[in-house]
Amino acid sequence: MSDMLRLIENEVQLAALAFLGLVYIVRLIWIFRFASRKERTFAAGSQGAGIRRSLANIAMPWAMESTRKDPWLYAQFVVFHLGVAAAIAATFIIPYAPHVFEIRAVVLLFQAVIGAAFLAGVLRLVRRLVNPVLRLISSADDYVSLVLMILFFAAGFLAVPNDIDRAEWPLIAFFGLTAFFLVYVPFSKISHYLYYPFTRFYLGRTLGHRGAIPQGTRPMSPGKDNERTSRPKGDPR
Amino acid sequence: MAGGRLQTYDPAGDNVRRFLELLAGRLTRPLTVSLTACVHCGLCAESCHYFLARPDDPTMTPVWKADQIRKVFKRHIDWTGRILPWWVKAGSVHDDEDLNRLKNIVFGSCSACRRCTYNCPMGVDTGLLVRFTRGLLTELGVVPEGVFNVSRDQWETGNQMAVSEQDYLETLEWMRDEVRAELGDDKVDIPIDRPDCDILYTINPREIKFDPRPIAQAAKIFHVAGESWTLPRWGWDQTNFGLFSGDDRLGAWVARNVYEAAERLRAKRIVISECGHGYRSTRWEGYTWAGFDQRVPTESVVVTLKRHLDQGRISVDPSRNAEGVTFHDSCNIARSGDLVEEPRDVLRRVCSDFREMTPNRRENYCCTGGGGLLSMAEYRPLRLEVAKIKAEQLRATGAKYVCTMCHNCIDGLNDVIKHYKLPMKVVQVLELVSKALVLPEKGGRG
Ligand code: SF4
Ligand code: SF4
Ligand code: SF4
Repeated sequence: MSDMLRLIENEVQLAALAFLGLVYIVRLIWIFRFASRKERTFAAGSQGAGIRRSLANIAMPWAMESTRKDPWLYAQFVVFHLGVAAAIAATFIIPYAPHVFEIRAVVLLFQAVIGAAFLAGVLRLVRRLVNPVLRLISSADDYVSLVLMILFFAAGFLAVPNDIDRAEWPLIAFFGLTAFFLVYVPFSKISHYLYYPFTRFYLGRTLGHRGAIPQGTRPMSPGKDNERTSRPKGDPR
Repeated sequence: MAGGRLQTYDPAGDNVRRFLELLAGRLTRPLTVSLTACVHCGLCAESCHYFLARPDDPTMTPVWKADQIRKVFKRHIDWTGRILPWWVKAGSVHDDEDLNRLKNIVFGSCSACRRCTYNCPMGVDTGLLVRFTRGLLTELGVVPEGVFNVSRDQWETGNQMAVSEQDYLETLEWMRDEVRAELGDDKVDIPIDRPDCDILYTINPREIKFDPRPIAQAAKIFHVAGESWTLPRWGWDQTNFGLFSGDDRLGAWVARNVYEAAERLRAKRIVISECGHGYRSTRWEGYTWAGFDQRVPTESVVVTLKRHLDQGRISVDPSRNAEGVTFHDSCNIARSGDLVEEPRDVLRRVCSDFREMTPNRRENYCCTGGGGLLSMAEYRPLRLEVAKIKAEQLRATGAKYVCTMCHNCIDGLNDVIKHYKLPMKVVQVLELVSKALVLPEKGGRG
């Protein structure tokens, strides 16, 4: 293994990862600086159930009309994100547990997942270029993030066999891209996974409290919660 | 009262600077994450009746509408957009013309129905963003004339239709006399400001100004059910234009009037007559706006009717409502509130031919008059154009009646029915229950 590959697989990755972690910490502090309002009403449902349901939404394509009507798009989403998970896992497996990729079946599995994600990425790019709605709303970041992901999948596909005797360049490209990603991601839309728990938490908390979600699990009022007549401490009556 | 709190537009003012200050100052965490989390996937597009009716116009999509405030947020508050605006399509507002354009988007092409919110995989609350933006513009007086007028009326008179106290009291007396005549019973009353009742009943000023029959229907049913109830002399308007204009101060003041009326009269429960945004405002949002901890149960009259039925306090004969009835879920109740099965439960007991429309419940389409759009004449042509989605949905039911528990929806649906020449009539739950009500034998209760 060349010094360059060793460096890019280890120190460079760790430095980029530390940078990402640092920026995310600052970002989270920034988010928490904005106030969130206190709930003052009697519950008709359950905040906890609403939050759980809202967070699980991602795995419930039947719960939204938008994904129900277009299962093909949802399938692309799943494949794409499985590819992301596999490619990220590969960035740790290659330097820290290389024996895993000595098993041919594992390599093939990773290549299948990452290869499918590559195709899903291409389809998403075509959709973004062709669909007038997406064309109108898309920014440079939307396009570049997607193109980078497609390249990342391509590099990952070639890198997972981890066959440095054959050629090092796929690994250098893969880890080079990974390092670039780690630095770029906090400033791009790719960071949406950082916000997902927040948007889902607040939506789930509000709608869960009101009994709007989860659907069909709330007893019809006049039920227990809506009937609540307990009064806060200090209330004169 | 509350004079002087409504902002008027100042053409000489530094409105852009003020807008940006308000934007920075009013952001909450849920808003901020909704502004940052959008991935521009476009999945919300087909959940919006505006885009469904105008599929060739991408500016009708929820994401594009929300992006008009999102880009300003990115340019002035978020990180990347402040340094590389073109990279993330960040942009600013430069003059009052830009503010006016924003006004036409958030007031004119969105009914804040939140259908897109339920269809966003990321949980971006576009309905909330639209209301937030409306609130910023309202603070500058950059609002449609109708919104300004109704807000002014509500600030000045405590009710959004500027009903005078005399009109209010006289209408209630008139309805009381109607019910007395119908039941042949002089004991029927519509009490005002009676302390220690089980129910403080609050209504929509439309019931005083245009159609007081629901008051009589409620009075009749409450009388037969032996309900202990009263209306307040002040704090009776459960509607709240602050929800539509995005003005939390108006929202707080109006809601507080109701809550304080309940405290003053020591009522055990606040009951809200049939109104979508009134229910959402008084039951849910108002307590937050007013910073007022809820102390008594607050419910829709439909829940009260369900209780009367459950407890056998009233009996009904569904054969009196024999023709087909479908139910329109008000967005403010179904998507921003809790009541979906309750009205259906009541309707199934009082109608013999109840049919669902498709889609229904939380997936129902807006009546198209929501978000205060009925008061904004300038957007009426677009509203009626996109109402074709609602019209098709109504027509497909083949029902003779469409029932809704929202006064605003009545007017919205009536517009749709008239414009698209549908053979339907709009009714409310109270009307159907009142029609099905079996009166007790003379000498019995009531
Ligand atoms: S569905 Fe949500 S994330 Fe996708 S474009 Fe619409 S608002 Fe943005
Ligand atoms: S809130 Fe309703 S009207 Fe507004 S953009 Fe979303 S779906 Fe369309
Ligand atoms: S008027 Fe009725 S349907 Fe229309 S937005 Fe309001 S609550 Fe929704």
